[in-house]
Amino acid sequence: MTDRPAEIHEKRILGTELLWAFGVGVLVAATLSVIVFTALSRDINPPSNVERSDPKTLHLSGEFAEHNLGTTVGPDGRVTVRIIATQFMFVPRCIAVPRGREVTLRFASPDVVHGLLITGTNVNTMVVPGFVAQVHTEFTRGEDLLMRCHEYCGLGHSEMWATVQVMPDDQFKPGPDGRVSCAQR
Amino acid sequence: MNPSDQSSDAYHQSEIADEIDEAALAEVMRVTPLGAAVLAGTAVALLVLGYLAIYLMVFLPRGTVG
Repeated sequence: MTDRPAEIHEKRILGTELLWAFGVGVLVAATLSVIVFTALSRDINPPSNVERSDPKTLHLSGEFAEHNLGTTVGPDGRVTVRIIATQFMFVPRCIAVPRGREVTLRFASPDVVHGLLITGTNVNTMVVPGFVAQVHTEFTRGEDLLMRCHEYCGLGHSEMWATVQVMPDDQFKPGPDGRVSCAQR
Repeated sequence: MNPSDQSSDAYHQSEIADEIDEAALAEVMRVTPLGAAVLAGTAVALLVLGYLAIYLMVFLPRGTVG
């Protein structure tokens, strides 16, 4: 007779545990579904670009030569920003981007590992020498944003920052060469 | 055992289990899982809601990234 109450509460506890496992499973599935749905419908994913570069000759020729840095609007209207992250500055130090349009940011480093983030946005990536970091984004806020290095790169790391000017369409006017510079303020 | 025997506490009065009524124990155990589930469920629900709130109200408004 003493076994029956023990069986009953073991069954009850098992039932509670199974209900709990089911509930947590539902919550985990719901959270993962939200993430997957957003990733597929809004094209949001962690930046993941594997593209090699040669840090020793970065500044001399090719895409990241100094005359090619900054914001460029291609003939198809695509906005590409090329930036070098070096000890201890971003080149160029001010970049102009349009508001509400897709922008491709490409970074390279000739020396050590840097990281950067642009405040108020989801732009956050590492810049590793030998690789090009690429982030696609759309700037939704029309104001000046701060782009800081967030990976310790040496004694001047705290001074390594740049300004991102987010411009509305009427101010974002490329020159004849397709380049856009920061507004002088 | 002689309580003044200092060799072991096993026979000390405070270490000897009470006589528990099985029916009373069954009653307590019937209610306890419900309380634990409410507490754990509330904690997990708050965590998930907090996560979704930050995802929907902070992360997504900051624009696409890829």
